[in-house]
Amino acid sequence: MNSMPRLILVLTLITAGAGLILSLVELVTREPIAEQRRLETLRALKAVLPQANNSPDEDTVQLVTGKDKRGRDVQRTFFRGKQDGSLSGVAFKVVAPDGYSGNIDIMVGIDPSGTIAGIEILSHAETPGLGDKITLPSFKANFAGKNLGNTDWRVKKDGGEFDQITGATISPRAVVGAVRKGLEFFRDHRDEVLAENQGDKP
Amino acid sequence: MTLGREFLKALWQNNAVFRLLLGLCPALAVTTSAENGLGMGLATTFVLVCSNIVVSSLRKVIPAKVRIPSFIVVIASFVTVVQLCMEAYFYDLYKALGIFIPLIVVNCLILGRAEAFASKNRLFPAVVDGVGMGLGFTLALFVLGSVRELFGSGALLGYSVFGPDYQPLLLMILPPGAFIAMGLLLAVMNKFDARHK
Repeated sequence: MNSMPRLILVLTLITAGAGLILSLVELVTREPIAEQRRLETLRALKAVLPQANNSPDEDTVQLVTGKDKRGRDVQRTFFRGKQDGSLSGVAFKVVAPDGYSGNIDIMVGIDPSGTIAGIEILSHAETPGLGDKITLPSFKANFAGKNLGNTDWRVKKDGGEFDQITGATISPRAVVGAVRKGLEFFRDHRDEVLAENQGDKP
Repeated sequence: MTLGREFLKALWQNNAVFRLLLGLCPALAVTTSAENGLGMGLATTFVLVCSNIVVSSLRKVIPAKVRIPSFIVVIASFVTVVQLCMEAYFYDLYKALGIFIPLIVVNCLILGRAEAFASKNRLFPAVVDGVGMGLGFTLALFVLGSVRELFGSGALLGYSVFGPDYQPLLLMILPPGAFIAMGLLLAVMNKFDARHK
């Protein structure tokens, strides 16, 4: 057992060296990674808020949408798009938990009255070639101009107005359902979202 | 045993995927397209070469009793470096490879080469072995990804090959397609080898 101190020393030195290298790399890449994530959000916001010339990611409202399993608040961020200072649209992220595999994150853009300007799929793990067709422009175009009043929010197979995708009904159904829930939340909390003077930065 | 022959042995005769059948989890899971296969292969190559370098240079310092934890720490560190750099500079590829990057840590190919080769050889042969094994792995993933992408979506590296009228063979992109393509490629290689013996 007289080699025990040596074992401890060597392993300690190796892990310390690894820790040092990792902290250096993290330091260098922290900025670019934050920038990439911001750019991704910004790209999605540009796509769903066509009529905005401010930076919607800097004019946001956070509202509590519910509680998670551990009883903590779940927050949703509303990005407010403005054209020359007056409100032209709102974007928010919804999550469809009932996709074919994993969550589908969707950015929804609406005008102040609650009619959809566009949606963008942020991330998903649907089957390549089938469910992932929800990212096609032809599917996303389904949503433009629709609101809670003028549309039956179901896929055509269920009697609604949204084209499903051949061979994949579950993914479109999940997207349609999540967007509808998002619109309902906006309808119920419209005043809080649109209220002035609380554009806090995230 | 010359270095050139060592390299060829690592690249071809002992090809990680097609000959040793090592590292099959990433090989089957990420190869839905040629680009994903290439990205995963190159990331693995980088980790393999770096870990071989470190393990080989420390082979006289690391006591045999703690060699496995030491190797794992080294490998895990390089994987994290790859993950952070990829997220910072190749964000699209990072999103495509997703959860498979951390899994490079448990790719038995890397630990296997550290244990079987790098810890017993001098620095330069260890680098050659790492590059050869890594490129062999990359080649295998690229071929597997190309075959699956070609038949599964009628394209290669994102460019359409068969034209818009092609009805894609979706099975090839789904998980079973990975096993089928792998089996067929193995059969072709065995046939090829048998003829040249």
